[in-house]
Amino acid sequence: MSSEPTFESAQRELEHIVQRLESGDAALDEAIALWERGEELYRFCLGKLDSAQGKIEDLANRVEAAKP
Amino acid sequence: MMKVEATAYGDRKVFSVSAFNRGVATWLQRLPTVWVEGEVTELKRHPRWQSVFFTLKDPGDGACLGVSMPRGQYDGLRLDLADGDRVHAYGRPELYAVRGEFRLRALSLERFGLGDHLAALERLKRKLAAEGLFAAERKRRLPVWPRAIGLVTGNDAAAKRDVLTGIQARFPPANVIVAETYVQGPRAASAVVETIRRLAELTDVIVVARGGGSFEDLLPFSDERLVRAIAACPVPVVSAVGHEQDMPLCDLAADVRASTPTAAARLVVPDLGELHDRLDRSRAALGAGARRSLDRHAQRLAEAHDRLRRAPALLLERRRATLEQTAGRLRALSPQATLNRGYAIVRAGESIVRSAEAVEPGERIDVEVGDGRFGARVE
Repeated sequence: MSSEPTFESAQRELEHIVQRLESGDAALDEAIALWERGEELYRFCLGKLDSAQGKIEDLANRVEAAKP
Repeated sequence: MMKVEATAYGDRKVFSVSAFNRGVATWLQRLPTVWVEGEVTELKRHPRWQSVFFTLKDPGDGACLGVSMPRGQYDGLRLDLADGDRVHAYGRPELYAVRGEFRLRALSLERFGLGDHLAALERLKRKLAAEGLFAAERKRRLPVWPRAIGLVTGNDAAAKRDVLTGIQARFPPANVIVAETYVQGPRAASAVVETIRRLAELTDVIVVARGGGSFEDLLPFSDERLVRAIAACPVPVVSAVGHEQDMPLCDLAADVRASTPTAAARLVVPDLGELHDRLDRSRAALGAGARRSLDRHAQRLAEAHDRLRRAPALLLERRRATLEQTAGRLRALSPQATLNRGYAIVRAGESIVRSAEAVEPGERIDVEVGDGRFGARVE
């Protein structure tokens, strides 16, 4: 089981797939596989953007919380 | 070292005031000669005195230090000092034993004004530049999507608000760890150094933000320790200190310099809207690319199918043409033209008669001429 990709690496792969598809020289099976993978990456990236919750915390509190 | 005598009262050793003062004074003589910076106040000079006296005051927190200096030496410098003048005094700590007063015995004194500050900064800048601390190849790229951003700032700073507002407007999912610390005064440099060190363990980019201030307010951000700490920081540092024209040395050591705290915010997080747009564009292109790829394959298939369907008809056509051609050649070889000229073909049964010997009198023969055939009997 590979670890979850980062948003950036997923986005790069998606854009690479688009380029490959746009070049038009992918075999049919490959084109379909690329498209499916691309959709998967799109959903992953979108999920990352929508689910990320930011927070602002204080270093002092952070250090306090880290104490046993 | 001078021996300090104590009187013994039973098991208690007791020093006279004089002996105590001499002892401390002797011990103080071991301390090195140093430069001390402060503002001159309460300057006292009297022609009959061996020394001039003044107090050096720390403009940061008001701490005071009495100073004495040999009068001849002081006069020789012709400094013409007034209250509030900033000086560098070179000397060593001493205890004036007669009064038990601790003070600095100055050996030399230099007026230290704005120009001297600038000159000192310029020297430091050249030294650090020569070490390569500001070199372009040392600059690191900021992470595109930092997991956590450290913010070093003063406790009520507008700079802090600007950075936080900027970050949240542009990229709401950002995680920020805010570290409030001293951003001016004598403790600022070491406080900022320590804060950066701690934040570097928790974040992957650090913003040092401080609003504008006087030249002296911003001096800690040109402190050698602070500048070195920024250059050595394990994660990239964005410096947003002072205004455009201030250029504290920390700006030069930072990986990126931001002209304002808001600009710093733009540098450390991506624009969520832009990320969405880019993702949407990728998806549209993905769909279009996949469709185009499928269309191209479908079209190739249709073309192949078309050719396949037309293949039998094409084959027949080709055969027919060959046949016609053969027929033409056949016709060119037929004897009809010869018959039309008056020749005849004589057949006995199925055989063509080529010799008079081949037939018997009374035998039935067929004669073919240009326009038909008739029967005959051999005589």
